Amino acid sequence: MMQINKGRKHRTRSEMKQLIDRLTYAGLFIPALISASIVLFIVFFIAKQGVSPFLPSQYGALSVDIVSFFTGMIWFQTPNVYGIFFIVINTVYIVILASLIAIPIAVVSALFIVKIAPKQIGLVLSTAVELLSAVPSIVFGVFGLGVITGWITDIATFFGTQTAGGISTAATVLVLAMMIFPTICIMSITAIKSVDINLEKNSLALGASRMQTYFKITLSAAKSGIFAGIILGIGRAFGEATAVSMVAGNAGSGPTFDLFSTTRTLTSTMLLGLKETVGLDYDIRFSVGIVLIGIIILTNLILNYAKKQVGRYA
Amino acid sequence: MMRHTKRHVKDQSLLGIVSLVSLFGILILILIFGYVFKNGAALVSWDLLTNDYYAEVYNSYYDGSLNDTEYVRPNNLSNDAYFSSRWGVAFTDDIDQEGHAVIRIVYVDPDSPLTRLLDKNTEGQTVVITAEQLLDKVIFTGNVILYSMDGAEKAAIKFDAATGIRDMLTSTEGKGIRGSIITTFLLIIMTLFIAIPFGVFTAVYLHEFAPKKSKLVFTFRRLIEMLSGMPSIIFGLLGAAVFIPFTTVFTSADGGNLISGALTLSVIVLPTIISSTEEALTVVPDEFRLASLALGANKTQTTFKVVLRGAIPGILTGTLLAIGRIIGESAALIYAVGTAIKDEIILTERSTSLAVHIWSIMSGEVPNFELASAISLIILAVVLILSLIVKIIARKYAIDPSMRG
Amino acid sequence: MPIPYVFDIENLNLFYGDKMALKNINLQIRKNEVTAFIGPSGCGKSTLLRCLNRMNDLIDGCRTEGKIRYAGNNIDDRDFDVIDLRTIVGMVFQKANPFPMSIYDNVAYGPRCQGVKDKHILEGIVKKALTEAALYDEVKDRLRESATSLSGGQQQRLCIARAIAMSPQVILMDEPTSALDPIATAKIEELIKELKKEYTIIIVTHNMQQAARISDRTAFFLLGELVEFAETETLFSHPKNPKTEDYITGRFG
Repeated sequence: MMQINKGRKHRTRSEMKQLIDRLTYAGLFIPALISASIVLFIVFFIAKQGVSPFLPSQYGALSVDIVSFFTGMIWFQTPNVYGIFFIVINTVYIVILASLIAIPIAVVSALFIVKIAPKQIGLVLSTAVELLSAVPSIVFGVFGLGVITGWITDIATFFGTQTAGGISTAATVLVLAMMIFPTICIMSITAIKSVDINLEKNSLALGASRMQTYFKITLSAAKSGIFAGIILGIGRAFGEATAVSMVAGNAGSGPTFDLFSTTRTLTSTMLLGLKETVGLDYDIRFSVGIVLIGIIILTNLILNYAKKQVGRYA
Repeated sequence: MMRHTKRHVKDQSLLGIVSLVSLFGILILILIFGYVFKNGAALVSWDLLTNDYYAEVYNSYYDGSLNDTEYVRPNNLSNDAYFSSRWGVAFTDDIDQEGHAVIRIVYVDPDSPLTRLLDKNTEGQTVVITAEQLLDKVIFTGNVILYSMDGAEKAAIKFDAATGIRDMLTSTEGKGIRGSIITTFLLIIMTLFIAIPFGVFTAVYLHEFAPKKSKLVFTFRRLIEMLSGMPSIIFGLLGAAVFIPFTTVFTSADGGNLISGALTLSVIVLPTIISSTEEALTVVPDEFRLASLALGANKTQTTFKVVLRGAIPGILTGTLLAIGRIIGESAALIYAVGTAIKDEIILTERSTSLAVHIWSIMSGEVPNFELASAISLIILAVVLILSLIVKIIARKYAIDPSMRG
Repeated sequence: MPIPYVFDIENLNLFYGDKMALKNINLQIRKNEVTAFIGPSGCGKSTLLRCLNRMNDLIDGCRTEGKIRYAGNNIDDRDFDVIDLRTIVGMVFQKANPFPMSIYDNVAYGPRCQGVKDKHILEGIVKKALTEAALYDEVKDRLRESATSLSGGQQQRLCIARAIAMSPQVILMDEPTSALDPIATAKIEELIKELKKEYTIIIVTHNMQQAARISDRTAFFLLGELVEFAETETLFSHPKNPKTEDYITGRFG
């Protein structure tokens, strides 16, 4: 005899189970949706607050002219003059310098750790690099203020120039280089480890020396992984706020190319002086935030394009 | 064909350069640790961890006559404590955080006249002297003066000889980080409370329940990936723009507070939790899922009873990584909470985590390097231990700890 | 008049740690001949091949006793320049491993490492090597393209060209066709027959028929020992050693 379902009360066990599954699906979908939308929230709300300084409707006569914002070279709280262009130049300049220091050292170290060092030493060194990547930026800031600024002052004295207690572009560059070095190194280690050892054997069999093989073949084969590490490192360099703010200074105008002068980066602008700000000066930091996001996205696009070009022969 | 010395020398010198350069990494680590240790280790003590940050100074005097009570020295008092039987108080010599010699009060008899002093600045207010306070200066009747550099023994003698106190300065030790430690704990608990369910459920959805090839899922993944690439100060902006107003509406907060901080931190660690959980779910063999379904369980039961259980080591890894991130985070909290160091921690008010505490004392007029180093030392120790535990768990359960999201 | 031996191996023993992999090998390789090493898996033929360009140096715990002479010089002397040796004794591996670069750069790699910089010279070397490897016509229009875009057989010929670009005297080949299809294999076998006019070739193969097809002399190895070494035709038609006969007739593999 076939059972006839009389209404909802007679759901079979299997139907109950399926219903639960559907409920679970819905229940899990919501956190996932929220997690995915956070990025959009961020962009929206920061844009909202960051656009307000330019709106006469918000700030009336005090509103900032958007053109002079993007092209200006002076940043003062009064008389409400805000020019971000020189800050962008400073930031890019500092990131480039820091990368020029960190990238070769990181890649060479990775090569040494994977290919040259005896296993135990390699393990010690790679653990050291991993520990270094776990050090929070505030500690780098303390180290920068306590030690690096001292070095810069000493070097400056040697060259006969003055510094503001070591607070300088050079200090910022060094601190950033130290912070992105572990990021690049760790990813390079992974990339180099995955290089097919037969490529190296082939190179040696052709009469190349060990060093020639490592630099011409191994690094070349690990290119894309190393590049990915570089992209990650540069992203971190642009976004680093705490440590940079502690050693960069508060230069009101620029751009600053002199290594021994104080400078100002996008993130230091956002962070310094936060305690005493209100109103326009507070909102303008959001505008700087927008510019920061824009620069990071732009840099990512450019570097990813370059990565594709570099990996053409893979 | 003997060795070509020129080529050999070139090769070896390149090898030497490479080796030298590679020591850079470990050199920096040693320098940082060395500096932080040298500068701050002296300060790290139980007192540091439990003291208030703000020192309280009490200015009091004794109004009244002394009866002839002889207070009894308690038995559990250590030998280097000097007792005044006239006043019922005991002192020891100690050194404060800056290395100066101080007199510390270690015992006050419950009946002692020192429990009934009057505040010199506020009319009618009593001052109770308690143990652990420091004795800064006393002017007794008869103009006998006791300075803190006189030492505990002299203090006991002078007290015994005195019949009244005209002016007494005591203080509690400050520069403690108890408030910031509590804040950090609270932030960690609240953040994990929010982020772990959110993150795990999101990961479970993406990995187990979502249709495999759907464009929506692909978009979700990309959006979450973008989240992990953002610098933390941007999250701070989000906290300031969204979470602070949100909490001021729904609670009694009037500005940055720990809840907005926890919400901000949740957003920061969310990608880490999601990717660690997804990693762990990938490692769970498909056979488990198939076996469970074959036994008649539905997907919900399979996922939550079987698969998730196998993913626990990965989730644990993600949690530990998240804790490390929370402890080290500074820029976002500066925006989303604030930089006011507090001794009394209230969820709806500002406070500093350990990292922000460092920022606060370093951005003042006179940066306190010693205290900053001491706190850095504590942070480093905790973060390093966490990293090591993560590595051990990862090795035991064959998870790749570099998938941090 | 002494017969010009390219390689003269005398009482060679080889150890991987404590394990003895080659026992008392005595062997002479003649110029402009194709010599084949055959034998079942693990018999030591590849190990011996690697001794000839000292690639075994890369293996931890590997040591040798006895003498290997190239053109009269002791090559396993500590002071002997290994890199020089490898410019004279080239090697082609079982799996073709082109470098992740253009075809041109792959072939030019060896000479560049030796310091050749002149563009014209390099172009000449690359063209000659690719021609000798019977690959030039197929790739002449895409020399700047990635080497990984070539087929398996083409990649292996590229590896041969790469080795030839060094103008070696000897080319060692370690099972060069075992990963290739029959057509590609045939092309390479034909190539080897051409190459022996200019180079001395030693080829390790687990394919007896291949050895029979292309080699002048064949050495049969078993469990690290040289069992028999003779002219190919003789070895295959009238093997002196019963073990050789068993192997050839397929009684064991």
